[in-house]
Amino acid sequence: MPDDIIGSLLQRTATQDRSAFQQLYSETAPKLSGVLFRILGNRTEVDDAMQEVYIRVWQRAAQYRPDRGQGISWLIAVTRNHALDRLRARPERAGMRQEVARDEDGQDPLDRIADPTAGVEAGLVAKGEARRVVNCFDELEEDRAAAVKGAYVQGLSYQDLAERHGVPLNTMRTWLRRGLLRLRECMDR
Amino acid sequence: MSDTFDAGAWPPEDHDDLTAAEYVLGVLPHRERQAAQERAELDGGFSRRVSQWEGRLAVLNAAYEDGPVNAAVYPRIESDLFGAPQAAAAPARRVPAWRLWLSGGVVAATVVLAVIFWPQTEPPLSAQLTGEAVAFNASFDGAVLQIARAGDAADADHDYELWAIGADGVPRSLGLLRGESAQIAASDLEPGVTLAVSLEPLGGAPDGSPTGPVLAAAALAVN
Repeated sequence: MPDDIIGSLLQRTATQDRSAFQQLYSETAPKLSGVLFRILGNRTEVDDAMQEVYIRVWQRAAQYRPDRGQGISWLIAVTRNHALDRLRARPERAGMRQEVARDEDGQDPLDRIADPTAGVEAGLVAKGEARRVVNCFDELEEDRAAAVKGAYVQGLSYQDLAERHGVPLNTMRTWLRRGLLRLRECMDR
Repeated sequence: MSDTFDAGAWPPEDHDDLTAAEYVLGVLPHRERQAAQERAELDGGFSRRVSQWEGRLAVLNAAYEDGPVNAAVYPRIESDLFGAPQAAAAPARRVPAWRLWLSGGVVAATVVLAVIFWPQTEPPLSAQLTGEAVAFNASFDGAVLQIARAGDAADADHDYELWAIGADGVPRSLGLLRGESAQIAASDLEPGVTLAVSLEPLGGAPDGSPTGPVLAAAALAVN
């Protein structure tokens, strides 16, 4: 695997290196902004969230563990967590997906990985590893795989998923949990 | 929530792991999410499960496309973390910290950032904003917007504020124009984006949207 530039910038940031932090921002801001947009879908809130995410990154960079994954994955995890905290803290109904149109772009995240032109993204996960994970998603029933992806990528809640798939909330949760166990079993194989 | 979920129906060894997975996926309602978060901070075993699930699902990160970056955000981060370098220069005016990013050190830093962001191949853009009493000449080289004023400065109770209006029609502040000229780091200006200068109360529009009359406006075009 090529050197993890983002990971080393994170490690330098952990030593209070401001220039590393600045470079980290310039390397990663478009990606993290994309994550926030996808989950929050609101320009003003994205700007605020960007600010809070990078402040958190500066404060918590020392928690990044290179042995647990790539720098960009850690940053995206921090960003998703922040976005989800905001989303779930919204009043119950307002937390629903408001812009249905944005959900229906029909893009399957895994298509992008299978697509050789998405080479830029390949750095996120080692290639062989990605292929294996994609195969594990393929082993799931289509609607369960879609539920896992929708939850992860767009921040759909159990409530959102239940409504979207037209099943009771408990059924949704049972489905999803079974799907997650199958994924784990396949990926850890 | 009216219906209860029978967590006991799952093998105990799977229960924690599934909670970790649900936390990483983000599907949990607010209260359960907070509980899982607290646990991840206190319980090393649970925290490891969270990391493992983050690793398993990281492949889905490829679904995220790059988003636009507001050039005003980084200076705000720096000012929050390291303090605004010249905040003391305007003690009486109470200008919000992020508006002070036009000051020297931050501009230099932001220009460097903007240069890194911007593909070097973009053609230069310009716009002539001609108003009745004041005009502005703007040019953008892909990283820095240079803007020069012809005409009077705003009176002592007002500021000129520069806005960029893109395809979404929402004005985005690029900062206050106090001197005869300014250099503003910007990363997302493109042909067709309208630049507009409005007259605002001292310190700029209070809530981030223009409130005063538009004095001059023009769209950026390739030279």
